Amino acid sequence: MLVIENCRLTWSDFVADYSLTVKAGHLCAVIGPSGGGKTTLLHMIAGFETPESGTLTFAGQNLLPLAPAKRPVAIVFQDHNLFPHLNVTQNVGLGIRPSLHLTENEKQLIAQTLEAVGLEGFDIRKPGEMSGGQRQRVALARALVSGRPLILLDEPFSSLDPTLRRDMILLVDEMRRKRPVTILMTIHTPEDAADVADQMAFVADGKVVASGRPTEILNSALAPRIAAAVSNS
Amino acid sequence: MLTLRLPHPGTLVAFAILGLVAGGFIALATFDGGAPTLFSIGPYLGRVLAFSIIQATLSTVFSLALGIGLALALVRRSFPGRSIVLAALSTTMAMPTIVAVFAVFAVYGRSGWLSEGLVFLGWPGGISIFGYPGILIAHVFLNAPFVARITLDGLNQIPAEHWRLATAFGFTPAQIFRHLDWPMLRAELPGIAGLIFLMCFKSFAIVLALGGGPSRSTLEVAIYEALKIDLDFGRVAWLALIQLVICLSMTALLHWAFTRPPVGHTVRSLVRRPDANAHSLKILDAIVLAIATLFIAPLALSVLTGLRNIPDILEADLLQAFITSMAIAATAAVIACILALALASAARRRRLVLRSPRIAAFYDFLPDTLLAVPPFALTAGLFLLIQRFGDPSSAGLILLPLINGLAAVPFAYRFVAPHLLTVEERYGRVAASLGVTGWAKLTIMDWPVLKRPLAAGFALAMALSFGDFGIIALFGGTELVTLPYLLYERLGAYRLDEASAIGLVIVLVAFLLAHVSGRLSHAGH
Repeated sequence: MLVIENCRLTWSDFVADYSLTVKAGHLCAVIGPSGGGKTTLLHMIAGFETPESGTLTFAGQNLLPLAPAKRPVAIVFQDHNLFPHLNVTQNVGLGIRPSLHLTENEKQLIAQTLEAVGLEGFDIRKPGEMSGGQRQRVALARALVSGRPLILLDEPFSSLDPTLRRDMILLVDEMRRKRPVTILMTIHTPEDAADVADQMAFVADGKVVASGRPTEILNSALAPRIAAAVSNS
Repeated sequence: MLTLRLPHPGTLVAFAILGLVAGGFIALATFDGGAPTLFSIGPYLGRVLAFSIIQATLSTVFSLALGIGLALALVRRSFPGRSIVLAALSTTMAMPTIVAVFAVFAVYGRSGWLSEGLVFLGWPGGISIFGYPGILIAHVFLNAPFVARITLDGLNQIPAEHWRLATAFGFTPAQIFRHLDWPMLRAELPGIAGLIFLMCFKSFAIVLALGGGPSRSTLEVAIYEALKIDLDFGRVAWLALIQLVICLSMTALLHWAFTRPPVGHTVRSLVRRPDANAHSLKILDAIVLAIATLFIAPLALSVLTGLRNIPDILEADLLQAFITSMAIAATAAVIACILALALASAARRRRLVLRSPRIAAFYDFLPDTLLAVPPFALTAGLFLLIQRFGDPSSAGLILLPLINGLAAVPFAYRFVAPHLLTVEERYGRVAASLGVTGWAKLTIMDWPVLKRPLAAGFALAMALSFGDFGIIALFGGTELVTLPYLLYERLGAYRLDEASAIGLVIVLVAFLLAHVSGRLSHAGH
């Protein structure tokens, strides 16, 4: 279980104060207006931002003293997930070993995972030769092979067209059924994930304003604010 | 029905430029007087070529090493005064070569700071800077900051996500260099290296003043000496042809293989580099910063000593030289802007209206070829042409702004061309459907977008021309004196105190113009 309690971060023009709980094995969709603090929340869990106060634990372990590389966390960004000079296998391999000295078993694991995300035979392609959707599949495969139990997806599919976006979300859903991972995913259009997510959190002005089952959130008094957030950005 | 249409102004300009260059060469080659064969100047040519290539290679290697080291150290470290260092790096790029020559004399010369320091410490013998040491010091002083600046811009363009990934994966400093810094460097280095090699290969003022012997010449200096000392037009033509072929092939290679989008105004990435804490890199960066400071700071600061000598040079000839320099620079800038505008608008018409990208690419390449034309040979050729028609004594007044203007066309073109293309892409169809063409199109559609980049190009062209010590070396004398010529004269007479004041004035004007240019080009974005 991921437990965030009163984690406070202060900038000159923005204050964030997060409290959120996500059950182990759940997929939590994070929605809200841009500039409201969705990405900061994920960056804080990953260790790129350090809260001045509050607690952050996952599976009972305190994450705050850990360096980003030591946290049980894998992250996928909206863009620039892959290093352009490395091929697909190498890019995925970074999730296991940054030195890229991979064992036969690890290479096999990479091949299997690439097959699972629908990229069989793409192993020696370079990112520049692939579409945006394919590149995000590679990033997803890397998060999966890393074996880290908490996966953060920061607007992972927002730059893809609606049909492809939906396909990718279904792929994420399929993957998490095969292995025990907890996922936090920020998304732009709540409808995309309303039926796959176990939980939905509405983040605005640096706070988790509401959290619950997707249907509850989407049909709550927040509905007009959610609609405004979607249409404004 | 037969209609007579005037060609596009850009077409006329292109033909005029080609005509000038070809005419100059033909005039040189057909000037009567026993023209030497290539064979007869062979051994001399071999020595000059070997020296040009060796000094340019060494200058490039040292500039890259210091520049890249400095960029990496600056991007990893923050310290008080860092922003001043960054600003200083940008300004050294506008430092005129003749002022760099002064700086080398002031710091490493016979009575320079280093010499005096060594004497104070009890070192008996003097140090000689002529030949390789002086030339390399001046070239590295001018080019290392340029390398550092371009590398910094490249490093700042690495996406923030990649730094976060490097942090999340726990990359070691070596892995960070391999996966983040090196791919960027590998993409940028060949272009930067080629450009620096070309500039050092063509180097004139620095090699003329610091070479210290007839065998230590670049082709450019050899052409100058053939003109000034021997009046051997045949040899000038041969040397110029070889220089043109070498520089043109290098320019073409650089233009086609390594052109990259111009560097934008980059903000420093807010993500902290995860390798900033590594102890080995802290030591390395401290060493690099110390070397860079010890090397660059005295040279840069030596110019400031001119401040106390300013009263000594406030005579009539300084004011006269200042006015002459300004007038030549302004005329050159006007010429550069008009030519660049005409060529860029022809390139745009070919690319977007007539749909012939190949001809457009030729127009894009033409300004860069001007960098390959040896200015002395072109000047000599045009001088021979002019003297058939008029009074050769006033040739300098016509040729100086013209040659300086031509040399500045590639820089003005880079400011103007992208904006012209953007306007056409946005409003071209509207203008066409309304029937707005020609002059009206230029004033209504283009001018509002063009005025800032054009002014920026004008200021930079003026800065370049103002500090240029090139063909003024041929025409300078009692009749015609520019500030760089005055500085060269004082250096030749070992009047370092007066030279420092003149150098300071040149640098101040050049930096001010370059600064205005930078402000104008960034303000639009």
